[in-house]
Amino acid sequence: MGSQNMSDKIPVGVIGAGSFGTAIANLLAENGPVMIYARKPEVIDDINIEREHKGQKMHENVTATADIEQLCERCTLIFPSVPSASFRSMMVDFSPYLLPDHILIHTTKGFDLGDIDEEQLLDIDFKLKANQIFTMSEVIRQESNVVRIGCLSGPNLARELANHQPAATVIASRFDEVTREGQFAIRSKRFQAYASNDILGVELGGILKNTMAIAAGGIRGLGYGQNALSFLISRGLGEIIRLGNALGAEKEAFLGLAGVGDLIATCTSELSRNFTVGRRIASGEELAYIIETSDEVAEGIKTVSICKKLAESLDIRLPIVETIYSVLFTELSAEDGLGRLMGYRRGTDVDFM
Amino acid sequence: MLEPVQKVTDWPILKISKKKDQIIEEVIEDAMLNIEKAFPKSGELREIIARTLYLEKIRIKHEAWKVDPPDESKFWDNIKKELFESDPAKTDKEHANQVALKLLREIVTRYTIEITGNFNPRFYKFAKIILPHFFSRMLNASNGRIRGIIKPNEAVDHRLTVDGPIEKIRKLSQKGTLILLPTHFSNLDSILIGFGMDKIGLSAFQYGAGLNLFNSKFFGFFMGNLGAYKLDRRKKNPIYLETLKSFSKTNVVHGAHTLFFPGGTRSRSGAIETRLKLGLLGTVVEAQRVHFEQAEENGGEAKKIFIVPLTMSYHFVLEAKTLIEEHLKRTGKEFYITIDDEFSSLYKIYKFFWQTFAKSSDITLSLGDPIDIFGNKTDEEGNSLDFHDNPLDIRRYFTSRGELKADHQREMEYTHMLGDVLVKKYKQGNVVFSSHVVAFVAFELLKKANPKSDLFTLLRSPEEDWEITYDNFSLSMEKVVKQLRQLERQGQLKLADHMNRDVADIINHGIKNIGIYHSKEPLMKSEEGSIISQDIKLLLFYHNRMEGYGLSKYV
Repeated sequence: MGSQNMSDKIPVGVIGAGSFGTAIANLLAENGPVMIYARKPEVIDDINIEREHKGQKMHENVTATADIEQLCERCTLIFPSVPSASFRSMMVDFSPYLLPDHILIHTTKGFDLGDIDEEQLLDIDFKLKANQIFTMSEVIRQESNVVRIGCLSGPNLARELANHQPAATVIASRFDEVTREGQFAIRSKRFQAYASNDILGVELGGILKNTMAIAAGGIRGLGYGQNALSFLISRGLGEIIRLGNALGAEKEAFLGLAGVGDLIATCTSELSRNFTVGRRIASGEELAYIIETSDEVAEGIKTVSICKKLAESLDIRLPIVETIYSVLFTELSAEDGLGRLMGYRRGTDVDFM
Repeated sequence: MLEPVQKVTDWPILKISKKKDQIIEEVIEDAMLNIEKAFPKSGELREIIARTLYLEKIRIKHEAWKVDPPDESKFWDNIKKELFESDPAKTDKEHANQVALKLLREIVTRYTIEITGNFNPRFYKFAKIILPHFFSRMLNASNGRIRGIIKPNEAVDHRLTVDGPIEKIRKLSQKGTLILLPTHFSNLDSILIGFGMDKIGLSAFQYGAGLNLFNSKFFGFFMGNLGAYKLDRRKKNPIYLETLKSFSKTNVVHGAHTLFFPGGTRSRSGAIETRLKLGLLGTVVEAQRVHFEQAEENGGEAKKIFIVPLTMSYHFVLEAKTLIEEHLKRTGKEFYITIDDEFSSLYKIYKFFWQTFAKSSDITLSLGDPIDIFGNKTDEEGNSLDFHDNPLDIRRYFTSRGELKADHQREMEYTHMLGDVLVKKYKQGNVVFSSHVVAFVAFELLKKANPKSDLFTLLRSPEEDWEITYDNFSLSMEKVVKQLRQLERQGQLKLADHMNRDVADIINHGIKNIGIYHSKEPLMKSEEGSIISQDIKLLLFYHNRMEGYGLSKYV
């Protein structure tokens, strides 16, 4: 596609210039102009002048801006891509300019905690109910006039996308129009996008798999191989389905790209942030130190404590999640954690469908 | 009584009644278009007609009603004959399709005419005068006083409370089209709402009454002339359902203030609706889009539709016994409509009104704040407001890249969203009566006293077990009432005035009023002063109304 007529086309918006937001912007840019929102002037300079950001070369169709109003006015289709912890405040900033005909397809794989303090999650006596936490699509709805809401999720490691490797994703929405527009904007020779109408299932697949990625990193960190990893992935999928289903999603969603697909990618990739957290824990580093020295947020850490609390209030057993929790937040070592799982004496093979 | 907002001659329902023929034409065209769109493939239309024919034959044979016209069998026999003769195997495809379209039109036309009601303003005025007299006669007779001491309208006035932003609703009724969506407990709801709306000066609403009600000459006569259109719940074939939707949509587009029960049928369990039937609700969303299309075509401002949720509160529901029995029998099976309930007898209806208006039993119609079809609140002028309280241009809900577009799937999602909002509004608008609370607390206590029994075992337990000591009951009442007051402060529900009394009074008031019509009392005080039930299923029915507020843990 030539760039001469690009100025006539309606640009697609991206909110957040983290490594994933940047990769998404570059993907979208293959089909037309893209406006990416970043708060920091140095990031905008990186993108607009240096043409390189987060180790990724910027496509010529991408322009960075800090002007929220302008972005909302010019773009109908917007991909928010900011960490779950700052998603709500981002929505508050954007909300005055968002209207019912905007389409928002978010890419964030984490929960919003609403009024709950993250510290509270570590309090043993604190009970967490499913209606106290929110997915990003719920946050969009709560904080704005936007109704055409979607989610993009799948095995999409930012670094591989940045290296122009082929990949596929899922765009989920209750509105056919949203999946259609999203697919149209992002599909390319190297990027395939499938549609789903189970947005909750697709969101939860992306969120819950992060817990297993930490465990996978732990297994690698302990020096174990493919047998142990496959054990984790299969049993982990079972736990994800059990919890996801209890939270209201259809089981089928977890068998697709955004479920098992993403689970395999994150659990087998040394590149993923959550995997790295697990690997470092297993090699004896302290969680606080890991968080302090990490460049970007590993959503899985918060998700582990949320899942553990939810399992308690929903009365379902999630042995792997409980073990990861104990390894991350109590004195249990990774080795002993694995031992605990090996000593678990209940359950049949496929008990989650 | 408030002054009427308009003269009867200006009422939308009357204007629509005057162009009845035109509207019937529009309904037929709209329904034809939608059915053809839904079944576009060659031969599909014939299949649908054949299926409808089959279903109608079964209905005529197994579920005939008095109200059914005598020529039904003949009509469908004829459809059958023509369908058979035009079989594409015998003739050519083109001819077969043309015959299918012709037959479809015949069926749609028949249905449309059947559904269409008739508003007779003279009859309306007449009914307004005679009905209160009818009640007042009962009232005076029951008091053993001389006729005429209590003025006819006072009975209705005293017993029927209409609560909510009445002035705003009156105002918006002249700015746009009102869609009144009540919860549904009793067949008498529509009549009571009719009184209520008249009381606050609104013009008559168009509403769909179950065709089974027209089996009764008394009801049929009243409803037919008061603007009710007819809904036949036996007919579940797609042609009928599409015709019904087109009927509703066309009338709303023409500005008819409309009333329907989004729960579909009466609440069997006694609980406030949590799941709504979205078919008719969807036609309202469509109608709003049509308003924007018409405005774009003809210029001017688009007419606006306002949704008014309405929660009805009673101390007793005439049909409670039948309803709860049906609810308990219905274990996932397709529901079979029984028409042989309390409404089969005029005497029972008479008795209901006697109980309502003569004894100290109140009915509250709690009107919610009008919202637009997307669930956004509105200001006094009817402008939609977003949650920042900024004005919101709702046309944008129907546009893609700035252009108005009919997107059926999108509108279905909007309908879902509206349904979710309504369910919330119903709960928030619920005016809690003493009788609801005593029923809730009593049943929960019985449940707790039998922790090992499931619901059905508990319902089968012997009557001697249905007893609670007064102290025990009173203690739980204290806690629940306290929590209810908390919930009212949070806007989660409303409390009737009598709920402000002290707990002992609330208990007495509740027990006195709960289900006073029933021959066996759901709740009463024994001679020893304990709380007993004579009919635990009825108690369950009244208990269910308070479900969903998280009150069990306070018992």
